[in-house]
Order: sequence, then structure tokens, then C-alpha cells
Amino acid sequence: MAPPEVHHLFHHPIADHSFSADRQTLAVARESNVDLYQRAGGKFQLKDELKGHDKTVTGVDIAPNTGKIVTCSQDRNAYVWEPSPQGWKPTLVLLRINRAATFVRWAPSETKFAVGSGARLIPVCYFEEEDNWWVSKHLKKPIRSTITTVAWHPNSVLLAAGSTDGHARVFSSFIKGVDSRPEPSAWGERLPFNTVCGEFLNNTAGWIHSVAFSPNGNALAFAAHDSSLTVVYPSAPDQPPRAIVSISTQLLPFMSLIWSNESEIIAAGYDCEAYRLQGSEQGWQLAGSLESKGRPGVQDQREESALNMFRQMDLKGKVTDDTKLKTIHQNTINTIRSFEEGGGTVRKISTSGVDGRVVVWTL
Amino acid sequence: MATVNWRTINIDALDPDSPANFDLNSLTPAVAPVSTTDVQTLAGQIRQLLRGGDNEGALQSALENSPYGADERGKDVHLAVVIEILQSIRQSEMSPILSRIYSAPGGTEALDVLMKYIYKGMAQSSSASTTRNITPQATGFSQIHSRGGGEGGGQAMSVLLSWHEKLVEIAGPGSIVRVMTDRRTV
Repeated sequence: MAPPEVHHLFHHPIADHSFSADRQTLAVARESNVDLYQRAGGKFQLKDELKGHDKTVTGVDIAPNTGKIVTCSQDRNAYVWEPSPQGWKPTLVLLRINRAATFVRWAPSETKFAVGSGARLIPVCYFEEEDNWWVSKHLKKPIRSTITTVAWHPNSVLLAAGSTDGHARVFSSFIKGVDSRPEPSAWGERLPFNTVCGEFLNNTAGWIHSVAFSPNGNALAFAAHDSSLTVVYPSAPDQPPRAIVSISTQLLPFMSLIWSNESEIIAAGYDCEAYRLQGSEQGWQLAGSLESKGRPGVQDQREESALNMFRQMDLKGKVTDDTKLKTIHQNTINTIRSFEEGGGTVRKISTSGVDGRVVVWTL
Repeated sequence: MATVNWRTINIDALDPDSPANFDLNSLTPAVAPVSTTDVQTLAGQIRQLLRGGDNEGALQSALENSPYGADERGKDVHLAVVIEILQSIRQSEMSPILSRIYSAPGGTEALDVLMKYIYKGMAQSSSASTTRNITPQATGFSQIHSRGGGEGGGQAMSVLLSWHEKLVEIAGPGSIVRVMTDRRTV
């Protein structure tokens, strides 16, 4: 297994990160800007800054095919950035929300994107050719609190959202003229805009931090602040789900999760390391950490001279410096994304966190 | 109309989408209401087990039947029972009992409930001892914290602290996070 590729970009929290399709460009949300890094050899170098937001940027996503970048921020705006000969050209998207935008993701079709917000609604935005303008339509109905996260179904119509009211919900975001009619699935058959296809609540009603559909879209996983991870397998439209598997872990809560294949989830959060979870409808369990403990170079136990040891004890009152965590990330991991896929399974993932690092892991 | 001070109008009440206008119960998990007499009957049954020497069975049934839906009095009755059980179990038995409960089905849930009672017990015993031990000093300062030696509250606290230590060893920091997150209180 190849060792993880660590890029320590700066000493600021990274709210969100996204790679371009060729994995040569990396966009990270840093304070009120989005920094674009270009791969140069084994490193990433700062190439461009997208300036436009005037409050903290909370989400950034690069569309893999069109290369457009969407960003959202606490200033309640979203921008779509398009490459042009004069540099990146921003287009303001009026989200019509009166609270901060928290999260943004392109639909797999790349014709629309969804924004999470503190205004208890989800603007779903699509481009209106006639008016040359991004229009936002609000998913509103049973949402009772801030949306912290959204995730798209592979069919680009169904949208999962996690909220601080403790519910993970599945909505239809079908927009006439933009989407083609989706195939009927276990989530629903007729799907007009704002159909609620599923609403799930944990026993503890803890905040939802992350949601994700399985690769084929027939299962939904969500992680909540009660350190649990729940996987829902729907049965048929308007029927109770076939199975809801919830595991309460001994760890601190997960902030982000992705499915690497139908029977494996990678999740990471406040423990500063990524964990592998495996299972199926019959049950899920924690299968261990992605970090190999005792990796050479981690402990870094140098032979100390006696003089040095006593000097350390005199100066600091201790011999070893224990201010560093044993994990690669030195603070909470915020975002996990797929980095390389092949044969229906994710081979590499990238993580970013509060410590300003972006790490690429080989699974 | 001119006399209405519009700055004092509660605009949230007029906004149909405002959180002031929906039932907050929809945010919390449903709990069935439990009457205080039911809690007392249950407490009697658990004490019976305890008198019979079955500490572990008493603990298990107390944790499985935590009265989330009871009122404050009912909850206090149940808390007293749980604390009584915890105090009756010797320190060397704590870890084996906890690992047995943890490996049983629904074990994480039971240990989360135990964690809730430990924290509630700590809150109670410390508030009880502060009211008793305030000794006004001539300097104007008051010594709030007792030294714990021989004090009832202090002894209860040390039992709870050793339970807490053993419990975190088995259920991990996850159980502490769950107690803070959970909207079902004991």
C-alpha cells in the first residue's frame, strides 16, 4: 500500500476542497477566498485566487466535465466561476436566502447544483438559457433547521440533505426542461419537485454532519453528531425502508463520509483519522483505521544523548515532545472526496481538514 | 396605529415559516410518557433484585427501562435507584460487568444510559454538597468545595468517578458525545 501523499498548504482551516477531473488543479476554501493550486511535480503550488466573497467560503466544487467551479459562502451568495482568456469569470447566483450558505455540490449531470443554507431551505440552481441567468428554486417543506450537508443521487434528480434538526432527508429536485425523467427506483416513481422520498431520524436526534448515496444509489448513509453512522436501504416508494442499520461507535463523531464501493464506507471526523466501515443490509461494523500505526517515520524516535535528555527535562519538564498527534492530520477532518476510481470502486481518496492539510490516501 | 411601537412587535410570530410557529417536538425523538407510580413500582422491583444480591441484573434492568417520558420526580426516583446500584457494586467488579453489558445486544445503548446517569449523579451530588458546605469567611470569600473526606457527597462522587473511568475505557469517548447530543434526558 502506497503511503499517503500529504500536502500541507497553509496554517488555516480548509472548509472544503475539490480536485479537477485531471487531478492537476486543487481548489481549497481558505477564509473568504478560494485558492487554486496547480500540481508541479509532487507538490501543489498556488496559482490563482478566486476573490469575490466577502465572508468565509463554506463550499467549493469543481464540475469534472465542464470545469466550472461553484463556491458558496456565509455572505449568502454563490458564484459560478468559468475559465476565460482573462482568467476566471465569476457569475453571481442569487440564492434568495437570508442566512449563510453552508455547503454546495454540483449534480452529476453538471446542469444544476444544490446549496445547503441556514435559512432552512435548499436552493437548487440551474442555468436559464433565455435569460442568461442562474435561477434558484427552493426545496423547503419539512426542513426545520440549518442544512449542513447535501449529496446527489447518481440520477441527478434525488438529493439527500442532512440537517441540524437531526433528520436526513431525500428530496426530489426534478426541474422540467433541465432533467430527463428519472428511472423509477426504490426511492420513488413519480418525482415532482420537492417530493420527500425519505425522512430518517436517529434515536438521539443528533445533528447530521454528512450524507451520501451508495454508488448505485440504492442505499443512503449518514453520520451524526452522536458518533453514529446509519445506513438506510429503501424498499419501495411510500413503504418503510427494508433495513436501517445504525452503529454507535466508540469514536468521536464523523464529519464526512464516502462510499468506496457498495459494501464499504470511509468516514472521518473529529478523531483526525479516516476509518473504514464494512457491511451490508445485515449489519455494519468498523473495520479499522486507514493509518497504519507504527509507520516508519511517524514516531521519529531519535536516539537522545543523556545531556540532551536532561536539558529537555530541565527546559520543558519532559523528555518527549507530545504536542503532535500520531495521526497524519493534526486536527479535525472536514471533507473526504473520491480521488481515483476504477472498476466501480474508489481506489484513492483525498481528505482535508482544520489543520490546512490535504492528504491523498490509497485504499 | 401610530401609537404602536413597531420595534416591539414579535415579527417571528407573524412569519409562517418562522421556527416559533412549528411544534419543536418534531425535532426530538418520540418518547412514551411514563407515570411516577410506574417508575416507583419499577424501582421496587429493581431494589428486590438488589436485595437478592443480583447487582448486575438490577443494573441491567435499570438501564433498559430508563424512564425518558417521566416527569422530574419520576426521573429523580430512578436516578436514586441507579446510584444505589452503582454504590453497591465493588470496584473490582465494575469492568467485568460493563464488558458483559457492552457485548450483549443493545449494549452500547445501555452504557450510554449509564453514562447519562453518572453525569446526572455528579451534577446532583455536587449541587447538594455546595449548599451544605458554604462557610462564610471573615475575608468575604466562601469555601465552596468540600475536601470530600467522610462527606456523603464526596464519597458518592468518587464512586461515580471510578465508574466513569471504567465506562470510558469500554465505551470510548463516543458515549460521552452521545450523552451531550441526545435529546432524551434521564
